[in-house]
Amino acid sequence: MSNAILEVRELTTKYITRFREDIYAVDHVSLRVEEGKSLGIAGESGCGKSTLALSLMGYYFPPLYYTSGEIIIDGRNISGMNSDDVRKSILGNEIAYIPQAAMNALNPTQKVIRFIEDVIEAHDPSVTKKEVYNLAKGFFEAVGLPADVLQKYPVELSGGMKQRTVIAISVILSPQILIADEPSSALDVTSQKMVIKMLRNLMDKGYIKAMIFITHELPLLYNVTDDIMVMYAGQIVEKASAREAVFDPLHPYSKGLMGSIIVPEEGLRDVKLTAIPGVPPNLKKPPSGCRFAERCKYVRPECKGTSVPLRDVGNGRAYRCIIPETELREMYAREARKNV
Amino acid sequence: MKHTLRQVFQSGKFLIGFSIFSFILLVVIIYPRVITDPPLQIIGQGTFFPPGLYVNVYDSLNTPYYTLNLPNATRNRIASKLSDEDRQAIKEWLTAVGISEDQIDVENTAQLLEQWANNYDPTLRVPGMTNARRNYFIRLNSSLSRLLATEGVSIAVRNEETGELEEIGAVTQTDYVNASQVPNVRLLLLGTDNFGRDVLTELVVATRVSLLIGIVAGLVATSIGLALGLLSGYVGGVVDDVITFITNLFIVIPSFVLLILISFSIGQNQRGPITIAVVIGFTSWVWTTRAVRSQVISLRNRDHVNLSKLSGYSIVHIILKDILPYIASYVVMALILQISSGIIAEAGLSILGLGPRTTEVPTLGLMLYWAMIYQAHIFGKWWAYLPVLITIALITFSMNLMNTGLDHVFNPALRD
Amino acid sequence: MKGYRKYFFNKLVWFFVTLACAFLLNFILPRQMPGDPVAAIVARQAQGMSNTAGVQAIYEQYTELFGTSKPMYEQFILYVRNVLQGDFGFSFSQYPRTVLDVIRSALWWTIILQFPAIIVGWLIGNSLGALAAYLKGGFDKVLLPISIFASSIPPFGIAMIMLVIFGVTLQWLPTSGGYGFDLIPNASWSFVWSVIVHYQLPFWSIVLVTIGGQAIGMRSMSIYELNADYVKYSRFMGIKDRKIVGYVFRNAMLPQITGLALAIGTMVGGALVAEIIFSYPGLGSTIFTAVLGQDYPLISATTLIITIMALLANFVIEIVYGFLDPRIKAAQAD
Repeated sequence: MSNAILEVRELTTKYITRFREDIYAVDHVSLRVEEGKSLGIAGESGCGKSTLALSLMGYYFPPLYYTSGEIIIDGRNISGMNSDDVRKSILGNEIAYIPQAAMNALNPTQKVIRFIEDVIEAHDPSVTKKEVYNLAKGFFEAVGLPADVLQKYPVELSGGMKQRTVIAISVILSPQILIADEPSSALDVTSQKMVIKMLRNLMDKGYIKAMIFITHELPLLYNVTDDIMVMYAGQIVEKASAREAVFDPLHPYSKGLMGSIIVPEEGLRDVKLTAIPGVPPNLKKPPSGCRFAERCKYVRPECKGTSVPLRDVGNGRAYRCIIPETELREMYAREARKNV
Repeated sequence: MKHTLRQVFQSGKFLIGFSIFSFILLVVIIYPRVITDPPLQIIGQGTFFPPGLYVNVYDSLNTPYYTLNLPNATRNRIASKLSDEDRQAIKEWLTAVGISEDQIDVENTAQLLEQWANNYDPTLRVPGMTNARRNYFIRLNSSLSRLLATEGVSIAVRNEETGELEEIGAVTQTDYVNASQVPNVRLLLLGTDNFGRDVLTELVVATRVSLLIGIVAGLVATSIGLALGLLSGYVGGVVDDVITFITNLFIVIPSFVLLILISFSIGQNQRGPITIAVVIGFTSWVWTTRAVRSQVISLRNRDHVNLSKLSGYSIVHIILKDILPYIASYVVMALILQISSGIIAEAGLSILGLGPRTTEVPTLGLMLYWAMIYQAHIFGKWWAYLPVLITIALITFSMNLMNTGLDHVFNPALRD
Repeated sequence: MKGYRKYFFNKLVWFFVTLACAFLLNFILPRQMPGDPVAAIVARQAQGMSNTAGVQAIYEQYTELFGTSKPMYEQFILYVRNVLQGDFGFSFSQYPRTVLDVIRSALWWTIILQFPAIIVGWLIGNSLGALAAYLKGGFDKVLLPISIFASSIPPFGIAMIMLVIFGVTLQWLPTSGGYGFDLIPNASWSFVWSVIVHYQLPFWSIVLVTIGGQAIGMRSMSIYELNADYVKYSRFMGIKDRKIVGYVFRNAMLPQITGLALAIGTMVGGALVAEIIFSYPGLGSTIFTAVLGQDYPLISATTLIITIMALLANFVIEIVYGFLDPRIKAAQAD
């Protein structure tokens, strides 16, 4: 087994609302990303995937709070560290975050180089401005940006340039792993492809060692990431290789999610997101049994009541459903025949 | 729609605002049904009678007397007559004749009067005291001894033939009448104003008129703002340029100054409450126009609008069905805001002397204007202006609260 | 700097365009109303003023000033020429003083009172609003309802309440006038002191009014900025919170400056009424006495002067804003 860059064990985080209610948006999530690998995380909006991205950074601010679990980056457990140490030695240095909608990710009233100076100063105050400039110039050239972008304000840059700028800044401290989060309303597919290509390119060149990509556009994940994790209501419902997750999903939710996307007909682009009827459960009071039961086509009486564990089927695959693997496959096959 | 309404009514801020506003509205509606006096009727001869229960003295004399031996009657009687100034004067005398300050308590009426009785001597000449001051103390002493008198007073009528006074009755210090048996009693909860009018009755009517002015001004302003904003945002092009130019122009030109100029030019005789309201409306549509325009522009290219356009629906249909519902919440909030600022604008104008003509109806602004002209605030006649200010503040506060509540429902980002 | 020059030029053109429109409105509006100025003059003449020579002088001057018999556009040209020469004619109510003379003595009182008060109120209001947004929790919970209530009290209400509390009840400060009524303006200490003392109540009441509105605006603006994507990104790049708060407040403050430029017209209206409550000898009180005296020339000129002042203030703020917000230069450079 090769070297794990990021290992997360049973991580749980919660939001505390202003009415003092706890919302567990990330519920006992475990994952592992190895050197040179990429992991995709998929799910509908509101499933907790973006909160997972925030939680993985190990740096929490209200209303998000750490509850339990471990985050180990390159052999270093950061979940017990105090937040100022995390800020100084982990953020940017070990793990970096890229908001994929870079439009508003940069402070509009600050020149790009000033922000980079602030970033570097926050980790190492001894670096001079001259050194910062030279360092930044190198990284900007690596993502194909001219050096004069450094002297500009974000408003003066086009969307694509802003995106590259953000990527260059995110890797400037040579982090081990990158977490790219796509908010549900962001870029079109072509620009997402460009971002992914650039990130892969950075990984190939050795700027970063691993990455996590969060999206709801599943075809994108299949092309780029090695593994895929599907999230639903704060929990992982399926873990598999990209190929298996797309072509042979086990969990009914993944099935629904993939099915709605794999067979897109012309003009159905707007329909596919609502392909699974119903909405995710309210996480203030999650259902005690399977959280997907309310919306599941194959729901059985025993699904409700007791919580469903993640069922490990070997080969790095796991899914969270009480129905055995073979039985699920049979049901899916029967359904496919019926549709044809 | 139902869901949104329920959400709105779950907002605490909205609910509090709504309750205050409903209360004001209820009072304005119910009060005139109960008290039917004309609001501008002059009942008091004199200015600024303080709030209280007014009992007819003549009628009281002809009502049965009851003897009540209340323990504090004498003390209360004296205490109400002895002013703070008198108390300080007594203290001054007492210290002058050598009583130490810590033995004197100006609040303790009984002790003070006793000390005075024991120590005052009209023949004594205190060194350094002017003659005028000495005379003041003599006068004070005689009025105090009258105060301490225990006999009653006689009621006499003049005999028309002889011209002499004939006693027909007497009132002792322990006589009481039952106020409910006195035929003429008037409760003036807020006293009277400078003209001798009942402030409370006037205030209720003024609130109604001011609310009406606010609503008319708000409707005018919001309609103009909405129409121009829709036109400018949806049609675009030259129309947009022209409207934007006019809007920006009227934003920088102080609307209040325009209001002054127009109101003055209209002239005193033409200035009824509704005219004022319309003028206010015509000078305060700019912000609504601006906001509606920018919202329409962001809606203009949404999918559902494009779909309607492709389906060949008319502009009117698109605006009514695809645009208005999305800006409805904003328009309602703008209307609420315009109503409260219309009420304030009327008050501001009236304070300048440019309010509605004064002969028919009061407005909140006019009441303030009268109070100010007659310097109620300088002379401490709080009942003439404070209730008016509180009413205005409560109306605007309730509307602001409703708006904040609506804002929290429709713009969740502000929620936490 | 090229971008800024362009911005400056645009604003300058806009200033002159608005100025021209203000002239036009000031000229046209009264003439469209039933009680137009000339009719008012005739009416006054019929009533008979005590000073017959004065009436005659005014009447003659007005027929000349207005050129009443001439067509509208010639009247307008005449009006503009008179205004540019500062010739507003005689004041009805304060004859034989000219309107220019009356305004000149009131103008400085208004400028010295209102502009510092609005700026101080703006600064305090924004600091409080930013603090409320940053601290959230209890402070915000207390401050928000208070400032909603405070901003519900109209400007004249605040002025009256302050006058009653500090002037009448506590008797700390004088209730009316710009200086003691027993003094004649001169350079002595007692006069300056009297001016300072009389300045306090109107000043703080305008400050208080400004604070209420600004604090609420700044709070919403800061909350909006605190939720912006760049805040999250900066945090995850390890930048210290204190520095991020610096970004946020700078960015939240900038729209507040344009907000001030736009709101200055409204604020001036409120401040004028405050002047009347305190009988402060500025333009607000001038309007008040002019209305009482049915003094059309004085009202017309005063409203024009106030408009010009507001336009100027707006222009100056926009110019300063251009220096502070880099986006202006960047946007104009394209």
